[in-house]
Amino acid sequence: MFSKFFDCIRSLCLAAALCALTGAAAAAPVTNGDSIQLELRPRVCTLSARDDHCDTVVEAQWRSPQDESLCLVIVGRPEIKRCWENFSEGLYSVKLVFSEDLVVELRDPQLHNVLVSEAIQVIKEALQLRRKRRQPWSIFN
Amino acid sequence: MATVLLSQGAAAQSACTAPSADCMVVGEWNISLSLGLGQRTNPVDGNSDIPLVVIPQISYYGKRFFLENLELGFTLHESDANTLSLIAAPGYDRIFFYRNDLQNYFVSGGAFGLVSAPQYNADNRELRESEYPMRARRTTYLVGPEWTFNYGRLVGQVDALYEVTGRHQGYEVRAALATALIQAEDSLTVSAGLTWKSAEVVRYYYGIDRLYEPGSALNPFVKLAYSKPLSPRWAFNAFAHYEYLSDAIADSPIVSGHGVTTVFAGVVFKVL
Repeated sequence: MFSKFFDCIRSLCLAAALCALTGAAAAAPVTNGDSIQLELRPRVCTLSARDDHCDTVVEAQWRSPQDESLCLVIVGRPEIKRCWENFSEGLYSVKLVFSEDLVVELRDPQLHNVLVSEAIQVIKEALQLRRKRRQPWSIFN
Repeated sequence: MATVLLSQGAAAQSACTAPSADCMVVGEWNISLSLGLGQRTNPVDGNSDIPLVVIPQISYYGKRFFLENLELGFTLHESDANTLSLIAAPGYDRIFFYRNDLQNYFVSGGAFGLVSAPQYNADNRELRESEYPMRARRTTYLVGPEWTFNYGRLVGQVDALYEVTGRHQGYEVRAALATALIQAEDSLTVSAGLTWKSAEVVRYYYGIDRLYEPGSALNPFVKLAYSKPLSPRWAFNAFAHYEYLSDAIADSPIVSGHGVTTVFAGVVFKVL
């Protein structure tokens, strides 16, 4: 009889403790990249066989469930940096010329940690080549 | 054994990794124009030598189909060492008889190939027509397999062709070897080979009914060609080519000698 009573009390206490912990976690400010969404446009850049670079406006948009302080940087482009302080979303667009995959990162304000990273993939259409027909007796071969 | 040798030789060939004079982009037209001075001797008695001044060149390469001026083909097999194609090529000898033959404007492969219309000596032609009954020599096309192989710096080619346009039903075999003596920015290439023409071909062009009915002919040739790029669109080209006409052709009453010599020097402009 008493043991059942104590078991019940113990269960209630555990449930209460779990609720308290969960609630505390939900209230705490989080600054990790898991909850931040970063979208890039265009998603890919397709080059024809004759083109050797993409020349386009790159648009980066991020969203977070809570306010964030972070900076947007582009790998290999130290001149590009855009920071926000206590914002839950942001939009940045810039005209760029690039020939390799373009990697956009959201970092903490000190630029130490990468919170989220996305890339615009450069897809180059392959040139199909054939060896020219050789004609040893031809005038121009 | 031959296959092994050819495969080993092919290793010396550079792979086609970028567009160049030897590597064509599939699906693109290539048009160029040669401007210069040159001449080809005309073996037909009474017809003047042929000046070479402006020579257009057009080519297109698909995945398997190709067009080279007036020749076209379909590649059945292609590797670094060997290429096997079916080709169709015009019969070349007609150019010595007709100034409006298309081959007088497009210089292509084959033992013959001209650019500018040969000037006919009208008086001499009338004389010959009175001596020998002149007959028409129609445009013909020959079809057959072509094998090209690379062995080290050697390029070899063999064509076995049959006339399919119903004029003479003759055969031609063309075989040649070429190698680069200099292969740097500029190139110097020497070629040697032969053309065998069956009796039907020789008779159609050089025979005279009931008077001269020759057999087959075997014509060897040598060629030296120099090329130097001047810019992405311009190049300098020069060549000298000599073909020996065998007795079956040279003994014809309408042929004046054994040799056909071609020389040319000029610039090539790449239009496309």
